[in-house]
Amino acid sequence: MGKDLDMKVNVLPVLTYNFLHVNDSTIRVDDPETVGIKGKRPDTLPEGVLLNESISFEKAGEIFRINKDKISGNNSEMAGPNGDNSKRDSDQAVRTGMGCDIDNLMISLNVPTDVYTVKEGVKVKTPIVLKYDLDDGERILSSQVICAEKNSEITVIMTYDSDKSSHGFCGISTRLFAMEGARINLIKVQTLGDRFVHFDDIGGLGLVNSSIDLVTLELGGCRVYSSAYIYLSGKETTLSSNMGYLVRGDHFLDINYVADQRGRKTNAAMNFKGVLMDKAEKTFRGTLDFKAGSSGSVGDEQEDALLLGEDVVNRTMPVILCQEEDVEGRHGATIGQLSDELLFYMQTRGFDEQEAKRIMIKARLESVARMIPDPAVMQKTQYYIQNII
Amino acid sequence: MGENKNVVADIDRSLYDFKDVESEKDFYRLQEGLTKETVLKVSEEKNDPDWMRDFRLKCLELYNKIDIPSWGPSIDGLDMDKISSYVRHKSEMKGKWEDVPEDIKNTFERLGIPQAERESLAGVGAQYDSELVYHNVKDEVAAQGVVYTDLESAIRGEYADMIRSHFMKLVPPTDHKFAALHGAVWSGGSFVYVPKGVKVDIPLQSYFRLNAAGAGQFEHTLIIVDEGADLHFIEGCSAPKYNVANLHAGCVELYVAKNARLRYSTIENWSKNMYNLNTKRAVVEENGIMEWVSGSFGSHTSYLYPMTILKGDNSKMEFTGITFAGKGQNLDTGAKVVHIGERTSSHISTKSISKDGGIGTYRSSVIIQSTAKKAKASVSCDSLMLDSISRADTIPGMDIRTSDADVGHEAKIGRISDEAIFYLMSRGISEEDAKAMIVSGFANPVSKELPLEYAVEMNNLIKLEMSGNG
Repeated sequence: MGKDLDMKVNVLPVLTYNFLHVNDSTIRVDDPETVGIKGKRPDTLPEGVLLNESISFEKAGEIFRINKDKISGNNSEMAGPNGDNSKRDSDQAVRTGMGCDIDNLMISLNVPTDVYTVKEGVKVKTPIVLKYDLDDGERILSSQVICAEKNSEITVIMTYDSDKSSHGFCGISTRLFAMEGARINLIKVQTLGDRFVHFDDIGGLGLVNSSIDLVTLELGGCRVYSSAYIYLSGKETTLSSNMGYLVRGDHFLDINYVADQRGRKTNAAMNFKGVLMDKAEKTFRGTLDFKAGSSGSVGDEQEDALLLGEDVVNRTMPVILCQEEDVEGRHGATIGQLSDELLFYMQTRGFDEQEAKRIMIKARLESVARMIPDPAVMQKTQYYIQNII
Repeated sequence: MGENKNVVADIDRSLYDFKDVESEKDFYRLQEGLTKETVLKVSEEKNDPDWMRDFRLKCLELYNKIDIPSWGPSIDGLDMDKISSYVRHKSEMKGKWEDVPEDIKNTFERLGIPQAERESLAGVGAQYDSELVYHNVKDEVAAQGVVYTDLESAIRGEYADMIRSHFMKLVPPTDHKFAALHGAVWSGGSFVYVPKGVKVDIPLQSYFRLNAAGAGQFEHTLIIVDEGADLHFIEGCSAPKYNVANLHAGCVELYVAKNARLRYSTIENWSKNMYNLNTKRAVVEENGIMEWVSGSFGSHTSYLYPMTILKGDNSKMEFTGITFAGKGQNLDTGAKVVHIGERTSSHISTKSISKDGGIGTYRSSVIIQSTAKKAKASVSCDSLMLDSISRADTIPGMDIRTSDADVGHEAKIGRISDEAIFYLMSRGISEEDAKAMIVSGFANPVSKELPLEYAVEMNNLIKLEMSGNG
C-alpha cells in the first residue's frame, strides 16, 4: 500500500481573505501507485485527424513549450495584482485550471498522453467521441492533447459514466492548442456514480483568430474538480464556455475557470448554471484576466446558482483583473432559490412546488445539454437528467 | 472648439500638503520602534487603568505572533523600527477653540474645521498626531444626553464600564496583525453615546491630522447608538507629504442598537506616503440600519474594508464607496458583510478609478449564515480605467449557507467612451474637462450621499487627481 497523496489544486489567480476558504482546494488521491492508466480511443478516426498514441506527458506538452513566446504575447513587466499567485503554475507546459500538481501527478505516474492532431485546413464535421464507462471500484488517470492546426476544426466529446452507486477515481487532463484560425469544440459529460472522485483539468492556448468552445456537464460524482485555464493569446481569439452542474446529497464540486486575455480584440464568454440540493457544497472561481495589450477585448462571466437545500453551501468568487484601459469586463451572479412570484405563476398553471422545482432544474441543465453536438450523447444525457431529478 | 479651459488648475493642493514644523520644545515624541518599553510608555502617558495596560501588552504579544496578510498590497516599505507610535503636543486638550495652541489652530483653520463646526456640525473632535487637541459638542446636543468626548477621559469617567465592555470586542486584537498593533499603541479618538430615542439632526465630526513625519496614528473611535436613536458621524483625515513612511492603523467600532440608525461618512485624504491599515466594524441589532459612505483618495497603500455584522432580524446595511488610485498608490478597498439575522439586507455599491499607474482593487466578502433566512444581498462594483499603465482589479467573494437567500452580484470594468468625450468636446469642452466631468458623473452616486460641503470637497479631490496634481 503506497502513501496517499494530497495535492493543492484550483488555486485562485489572486489570493484573498483566508476566512473565505477559496484561495485553493485540496484533492486526495488514495494510494496513487495503484491508479490505473486509461487511454480511451475512438473506434474510427475521421479523415484528416492523426492520433499519436501513448507518448509521455512531458513530450506531449512540448508543442506548448515551443510556442511559449506566443503565450507570452504582449505581456509586460507591469505590476501584477495584489495577492498575485500566478507564478505558482508558471512552469507548466500550458497552464491548466487545476495547476501544476496535476501535471506532477501525471508525470510521476508515467501517465501516457494521446495526441490528436487535425491537419491544416481540415474541418472535421464528425465529433470524436471518447467514452469512459467505468466499473465499480475502477481508478484511472488519462491524458490527451488536442491540437488543431491552422484553419482546421475538430469536435471532441468525452463522457465519463458508471453505475449510480459505484465508487472509484477518474482523473483526466486535457490540453488544447488551437493554431491560427482553428476551432476546437470540447464537450465533457460526467455522470459518474455517487462515490466517485473525479477531476477534469483543462488547459488551452488559442492563437490568432482561433476559437475554443467548451461545454461541460458535471452531474455525478461525490467530489468533483472541474477546471480550465485558457490563454487567448492571439488577436480576435474567442473562448465560449458553458457549464451545467447538479450537486446533491453531501457531494462537493470545486470549479476554477480562467480566461487569460492577452491578444487584441479577444472575446471570452463564460456561463455557469447549476443546482445545489440537500447538503451539497460548491466553490466557484471564475476569472477574467485582461493583460496589458488586450485592447479592444471583451469578457463576460455569468453564474446562476439555484439553491434547493436547507443546508447547501455555495461559495462564489467572480474575479476580474485588468491592466488594459480599452476593454470591457463584466461579471454577474444570481444565487438563491426560486422566487415566490415564479412559484406562484407555476402553481397557477397547475404545477405544485415540487414539480415546479423539477421543471426549473431540468430547464437549467438541459439548456447546456442541448449544446452537445452528438444526438446519441445528447439524448442519453437528457435521459440521465430526467431520471435523476 | 471653445477656449481650452482648465478648471482643475485652480485647485490648490497645498490645502492638504502644507507642513507645520513641529519643534521639540512644543512636542513630545516617543522613540521609534515597537517594544514592550514603548508600549508601557504609551500606557503611562495615557494614565491607563491596569486592565488597559495589560491589554496593550497582550496585544503586543499577538502583534509579534501574527503574520502579515498574504493577499494584499505589499507593505515592505513600512518599517516599524522607523515609526514613532506616539507624538503629542505638550498642551492639554481644549474645549474652546481660542485656547488651542496657535500652530495647531492654524492647521485646522486652513483645513476649514472650525468653520464647518460653526456652519453645519453638532460637535467636533480634532486630533493632531496622537492626541485630541480640541473637542466640543453643541450645548443643545449635549442637553439631549448625547456624549461626545475623547476616549481617554471616558475610559476613566462615568462611562468606564461601558467602554470596557465594548472596547475591541467587535474588532478583537486577534483579528489581524494591525488590529493587534492598534490594541498595543492606540491613543486618541472619540467616544460617542447617543441615548435611547435621541435623534441628532446634524452630524458630529472627527478630523484626524497626522502632521509628524515618520509617525503612526492609532486613534480609536467607539460609537454606541442606543435603541431608536439616530446619528450621522463624519470622519475626515489628511496629512502633509513626507519622504518617509507614515502609518495609520486606527480602529472604529460601531454598535447600532434595535431600531437605531447610524450613518458613518469618511473622506480619506491621507498623504501619499501613508500606509492606511485601518479597521472599521459595525454590529447592527434588530431593525437597525447601518450606512457607510466612504471616499478613499489619499494614502500610498490602503487596506480598508469596513465590515458590518447584521446580527438582528430585519437589520440593514448600505455601503457606498469610491476609491481613486493615482500615481504611486495601491488602494485595496471594499466592504465585508455577515448576515446572521432573518430578513437582513445589504447593498454594497462601489466605484473605483485608476489613473497614472495607480492600482485600485475592489475586494469584498458577503457571508450569509444558515440562520439568515430570507436574507437579501446585492453587490454592484464599477471600475474605470483611465489609462493602460494602471490596474483595476475586482475580487469579490460570497459564501452562502442557506437556500432561503437572494444574492445578486454585478461588476463592470471599462473605460471612458470615446463617444462621450467627443460629444462633450463638440459642445466646446476641452478633452481634459470632459474627462473630469465624466469621472465626476461616475462618482455622483457617492457624492450625493454626502453633506453638501463634503461633496464639494470630494469633487475637488477628483479634479485634483484628474489634473495630475493629486
